[in-house]
Amino acid sequence: MAASETTGSARQARIGEALKAAFHAELASPGDDAVKIRVCAGTTCNASGRAALSDALAAELEKRGLSDRVKVVLTGCHGLCQEGPIVVVHPQGVFYPRLKASDIAEIVETSVVGDGIVERLLYVDAASGERVALEKDIPFYKRQTRIVRDINGFIDPTSIDDYLARGGYRALAQVLIDDDPEGVIDEVERSGLRGRGGAGFPTGKKWRFCRQNPGERHYVICNGDEGDPGAFMDRAVLEDNPHSLIEGMLIAAFAIGGDEGYIYVRHEYPLAVARLRQALAQARERGLLGDDILGSGFSFDIRINQGAGAFVCGESTALTASLEGRRGMPRGKHIRTVAHGLWGQPTNLNNVESYANVPWIVTHGAEAFAAIGTATSKGTKIFSLTGKVRNTGLVEVPMGATLREVIYDIGGGLREGREFKAVQLGGPSGGCLPAELLDEPVDFESLTAAGAMMGSGGMVVVDDTTCMVDFAKFFLQFTAEESCGKCVPCRIGTTRMLEILERISAGEGTVADVERLERLADDVIEGSLCALGGSAPNPVLTTLRYFRDEVMEHVVNRRCPAKVCRPLIRYTIDPEACTGCHLCLTACPAHAISGEAKQVHVIDQKLCIKCDTCRQVCKFDAIPVETGILAVAEGRQQ
Amino acid sequence: MARNGGNGKGRTEPKGSALYEVLKGIDFEKRELLDKTKGVGLFDLVKDRDGGYRCYACTLCERTCPVDCIEIDYCPEFEELPFDVEAERAAMQAMQPEIDMKLFDGVIARIREGAGLIEAFHTTQETYGYLPRRALEEIAAEMKLPFSRVYGVASFYSQFRLKPVGKHIISVCMGTACHVAGAPLIAEALAQELDITVGETTPDLQFTLQTVNCIGSCALAPAVRVGEDETYGRVTPQQARKLVRTLRKKEA
Repeated sequence: MAASETTGSARQARIGEALKAAFHAELASPGDDAVKIRVCAGTTCNASGRAALSDALAAELEKRGLSDRVKVVLTGCHGLCQEGPIVVVHPQGVFYPRLKASDIAEIVETSVVGDGIVERLLYVDAASGERVALEKDIPFYKRQTRIVRDINGFIDPTSIDDYLARGGYRALAQVLIDDDPEGVIDEVERSGLRGRGGAGFPTGKKWRFCRQNPGERHYVICNGDEGDPGAFMDRAVLEDNPHSLIEGMLIAAFAIGGDEGYIYVRHEYPLAVARLRQALAQARERGLLGDDILGSGFSFDIRINQGAGAFVCGESTALTASLEGRRGMPRGKHIRTVAHGLWGQPTNLNNVESYANVPWIVTHGAEAFAAIGTATSKGTKIFSLTGKVRNTGLVEVPMGATLREVIYDIGGGLREGREFKAVQLGGPSGGCLPAELLDEPVDFESLTAAGAMMGSGGMVVVDDTTCMVDFAKFFLQFTAEESCGKCVPCRIGTTRMLEILERISAGEGTVADVERLERLADDVIEGSLCALGGSAPNPVLTTLRYFRDEVMEHVVNRRCPAKVCRPLIRYTIDPEACTGCHLCLTACPAHAISGEAKQVHVIDQKLCIKCDTCRQVCKFDAIPVETGILAVAEGRQQ
Repeated sequence: MARNGGNGKGRTEPKGSALYEVLKGIDFEKRELLDKTKGVGLFDLVKDRDGGYRCYACTLCERTCPVDCIEIDYCPEFEELPFDVEAERAAMQAMQPEIDMKLFDGVIARIREGAGLIEAFHTTQETYGYLPRRALEEIAAEMKLPFSRVYGVASFYSQFRLKPVGKHIISVCMGTACHVAGAPLIAEALAQELDITVGETTPDLQFTLQTVNCIGSCALAPAVRVGEDETYGRVTPQQARKLVRTLRKKEA
């Protein structure tokens, strides 16, 4: 007993020392109470002109001789992507959105040299119309509960020291000191963490199965093949805080007895791949990855594998097939990945977000995690809120928050003058929920009962300008294209369903078509091996369940109420409003508009390709879109 | 009564049906007959009366097997093929554009470092901009895989291109957020301006137009990406057209 206690404390001291040695405090960015400027360098801010901004900032600081004193930190995504490029000035924490290079001099003068605030550049809360100075006071941030994205936006994702300075890798050290893999699994199981990839399988249980299954090697795989269109939560973790994922995977590997790890990332995320490569190299260099991690005797290494644009590879068995260098086609689920996964060995496969939750659970304890959320869904969930809301970006909320809280309180509601129509959850596997369900809590069970699903966390809000038939068609087009073709009901069924939807949106559908659509949907769900086919009809089914009237409007009255379905609409020029300004005439790519200057213009319906350009360029709202039998008939006559 | 399969679920086949005739000969009580560990229940190919195999290697069984236990391989033992393999290969080669094989050493090096097939493709595509047939053949030889396997994998993934691409690759994001913001109109405008359809390359090898499934810039919807890292957000069809014209001007 005494002997094991001494070796135990010797182990503790050794690992503690190793962790201390891995941390180079002098390389870390200064804390939030020091003078520094955080510049968001997330993908969206980069695309909004961040590079020119940070160049201007560096030049301005240089000019004033402040380069040494004021540190500029390029952080990961701040989440409020709508307002990019974002700059936050410390120690006050003043938040400046949508900056231009020309604003920099004023900010440096007022907020960095002085401690004032440039009033005119502040964020304006769209809901209340008030200016908000500090980042932490902005409603978008105030109402979130951040576990996974806790320090994202505060640290430099390219610096391992920033992560270590904020308590990074301490959970790993703790686990290595305790040296009790079963205990880690117990902890994760008690926390109630469920897979964040969509299906919601209990993570602890999966780890236990994997550990128990015998095999030559145990593999730990991270699924970063975030293929859902309209979802970018995983990308944010990979780009903004890659070390949290690596630490989570290390803890999982220790608990399971893993020998080798793989991270499967989409090829469409070049920045995420670069950040991961860098993070892995840093972790290896500091002895946090590779052989004999922190002197504990535990060895584990991680490789990156890039996908190649196949949505189905987000499915676990297809992903392992792809890792093995084969076509990414799923297989029957009666052979479990935890028993026969990669190369036929026991394999644990979790989503990025699932792993990123693990260090927090170890540090704060299972009880703290289980205290957040609902009875069956614990912790938080990141959603990428996009579409027609005011604040698009990444939001992290406790499980069980209502859709209304996410869309209105955090998202700020719909954009000016727009009316909420539906929210799409779970991408091509999920469904559209109408306004009546806005008070529905967001957790695994409630969403499935409503016909949608959690999915990986895409949340797209649409208004009355989106046609639900067209929307369902979009998702079905996606799944029909992405179906790997193995199961006939999925390969052919989705195509047939798509054809029916195309008929309906062309105004050629019949009532029998709608019934056939429902029957086919059941067959596709029943006859598919994997979740892609098993959930592909969901968007169509929820559309029929909640927006049947709109579908029937297409079928019976040949009208598209949202004025989207092209065969059912017609562009006209309102003679009262037209000023003959020639704008539409010059913009029309089909040369379908004619008219003398300052005279009312006309659209030649035979030439019009309904590309919407004229309506967009018109400054006088003089191009109304018509729909309905009359409009179509007139269009054909001309 | 004969029962279907060894799963004991007991679906009954109608008397006189073809399946009934087959199944009635099997004693389902002695299920060990189907135990693969005893060597029973393994695959054999059906032969015709003249001794030839009926299998056409259509690979349908490989593709649809729910447990992925079948793999169709090119087998060099069958020497008598109905066509001249070498001549076919030479003809194929002649149709392909010449590529600089010196650049291929990088790919070989990656493979020897332990890169998998898909990683090798990525490296090849980074080198040549697409996957030339010649390169695929070399990869097959290096990795000792049948060419059919290599080609099958290359054609499965939408990111791999089997044809040369233009200097500027214009990717229109087709994610959900971009779709509701009018991405199809952008793709259409670009296709019209470039006078090609989506997925094609202009004859002067300047532009390739493609659609991608969500680049994750949903806050900037609709988004268009040129090359690897130039992203344009909140694009209108007019701006899209202008973008092409500006790029053209730069080249001229």
